[in-house]
Amino acid sequence: MSSVTLVNSLSGLLILTSLLVIEVKQSRMSAIMYSIQSVVLVLIFLALAYITGAEQLYWWAASAFVTKVILVPLLLYRALSQAAEAEMPRNALGPTLSFVMAAIAVAVSFVVINQIQLKAAVPFKPALAVSMAHFFFGELCILTQRNLFKQVLGFCLMENGSHLTLALLAYNAPELVEIGIATDAVFGVIIMIVLGNQIYKTLHTLDTGKLNTLKG
Amino acid sequence: METNYLTWLLLIPLILSLAAFAARWLKGFTRPVVEAAHLLSITLVLLMSLLAVRDVAASGQILSPGHWLHVDALSAIFLLIIGVVGFLAGLYTLSYTRHDLESGEFDLNRLSLYYGLFSLFLFTMLLVVTANNIIMMWVAVEATTLGSAFLVGIYGHHSSLEAAWKYVIICTVGVAFGLYGTILVYSDAVNVMQTPGTAVLWTEIVKNAKALDPSLLKMAFVFVLVGFGTKAGLFPMHAWLPDAHSEAPSPVSALLSGVLLNCALLVIFRFGIITDLVVGPAFTHTLFLIFGIVSVAAAAFFMFVQRDIKRLLAYSSMENIGLVVLAFGLGGPFAGLLHALNHSLVKALMFLTTGNILIKYRSRSLDQIKGMLQAIPVTSVLLFVGAIALVGTPPFNIFVSKFLIVASGLAAGYVWLMLLSLLLLSVVFAAFFKVISSTLFGEKPDGIAKGEYGWLTLAPAAVLIILILVLGLTIPPQLNSLLNQAAKLVSTNLVNSNLGGTSFAQTNSAGLLPGLAEVKAWLTPLVSWLP
Repeated sequence: MSSVTLVNSLSGLLILTSLLVIEVKQSRMSAIMYSIQSVVLVLIFLALAYITGAEQLYWWAASAFVTKVILVPLLLYRALSQAAEAEMPRNALGPTLSFVMAAIAVAVSFVVINQIQLKAAVPFKPALAVSMAHFFFGELCILTQRNLFKQVLGFCLMENGSHLTLALLAYNAPELVEIGIATDAVFGVIIMIVLGNQIYKTLHTLDTGKLNTLKG
Repeated sequence: METNYLTWLLLIPLILSLAAFAARWLKGFTRPVVEAAHLLSITLVLLMSLLAVRDVAASGQILSPGHWLHVDALSAIFLLIIGVVGFLAGLYTLSYTRHDLESGEFDLNRLSLYYGLFSLFLFTMLLVVTANNIIMMWVAVEATTLGSAFLVGIYGHHSSLEAAWKYVIICTVGVAFGLYGTILVYSDAVNVMQTPGTAVLWTEIVKNAKALDPSLLKMAFVFVLVGFGTKAGLFPMHAWLPDAHSEAPSPVSALLSGVLLNCALLVIFRFGIITDLVVGPAFTHTLFLIFGIVSVAAAAFFMFVQRDIKRLLAYSSMENIGLVVLAFGLGGPFAGLLHALNHSLVKALMFLTTGNILIKYRSRSLDQIKGMLQAIPVTSVLLFVGAIALVGTPPFNIFVSKFLIVASGLAAGYVWLMLLSLLLLSVVFAAFFKVISSTLFGEKPDGIAKGEYGWLTLAPAAVLIILILVLGLTIPPQLNSLLNQAAKLVSTNLVNSNLGGTSFAQTNSAGLLPGLAEVKAWLTPLVSWLP
């Protein structure tokens, strides 16, 4: 298997792990599935670093390992553990519908990415389409989940999608740029978790359906 | 022109924000320390912003060493807004938070958190308007959400936490679209320029824009418009806006409505300039026209049925941001930028006035706010002047910019669209007429004592009234020159690429494009009094 094929195949695994993040029955397991997905992302960064010879991608892989494989999943696991499983609001979509939506997202992204003429993007078009699909899938997760912290996971999925796009198209960006994006994303998740915890302590629910006092 | 003080412009509010956070441990001194840090922060930001605007007016643009920070005429206008509105809202907040301390809404820890976040919020907005690195621009926009989310939820009530959650989740997701668009533009630029270090700079991308891939740029701009349009409160991505703007403390609402929405717009316009250079203006203008008019229409009807005064003002912000975007779609960036500035001042005035109403009535409901002329007569006058200014009554500033937007539309041949806009603006007028008639007159409720809270709750609003009146009567030559420079930045490429479109800058200085002579003849007597 060539390195390029490896990158494209690993990207496919991202969609599979996303489905697991969304559909796994125990809420706190979602955080573990997200951690597994981030391992796949780290492997893609390493493979890309090997192919392109871009040293900074090794740093990307290292920072993604610390933040996305360990830190964010740990915070989300703890956040999801504070409420009893029976109190957790359910996903509006079932597994079948989620699978269908994922397939549609991938198909649409393939059509869109096919129109891009960038030379650097040509070998990685499948991975690029998957990264875009992953981004949309994360958004779908936010729209369909009623659990506060699962919405945060949806954001994490979106962020993994855009992070992969960045790695495929702009791996040679100045390091400070990657640091800025990664820091912002981690801070974003931390702030959402702090706010979610505050909501749970004040309102005793993780159900966004109950956040409905502001209307009109 | 290269300068070091742009870095200090950012560092000062950041350092003073950390000082305010740390002041919570200075028991007994917390309040004087945070207030001193806050005053220093807003004053220095105002002075340095004015300094930067002056230098831009003199030399066209200023850059930091390394060119990661950049202020040109376009961003100078937004920097001016941050400096002025940030200072006046910041001044007002001193008395507002003292009231919150007295009423038990705040303790000293929360006060320190509030002031720390206030300066942090200013820092993030300054970073948005000064960033030349397009990816740092995104980082800054995202940071504005993270910096202000806790300000929205600072009271910790059910409704404020709900608003903060919606704000964070909708804006973070929205701005993620912006990141996607930014990455696409950067990757295309690096493909063309082959130098990653410079391909990330907006000033360099503009220079090389003609070589970029048109289909990629179109896709990227859609992502950018949806992403940063969410932050700007454009319909239909506006869902967070009425909640966050109404639940935040009033001085923060003034910053959110008067400043933050504009910062997001600036980023859209920056990418719009690049896109126009690559694919011509028709693409962005069409999108601007659609999002602009739909936002105005939706906001007008939401305002008409609204019974919560702060939500009504939040929808009014959506309406005015829609007008700014519409102006850009019509090819009238001069009118659009002037309207952005005018709206910021008037909306800050309105939110500060609403703060006084909240202090007195402890309610935002129009059903409970009655007899203001008896209870708080000075605030009543401020609210009245703000409302008539906001709907576009002469001699106030918004009349001028709304007039110029309509004039730009007519000059560009969008007669029906302008008629529709005027119809929608009459709905807005009716909504504010209801507010004035319902709140100012009648008997004040029992238990509401007569009297204002203090001069510091009135002085910043009074300064704002002077500014909106002055800008209604004349546009100072320096500001006019800055607006013309900014309008040229946006529309130079249209002239160069011969793809049509007009701006008021062009109508004002170089004449209308061929084929619009009759409209020009009709408009000339109407606009001749302008500087």
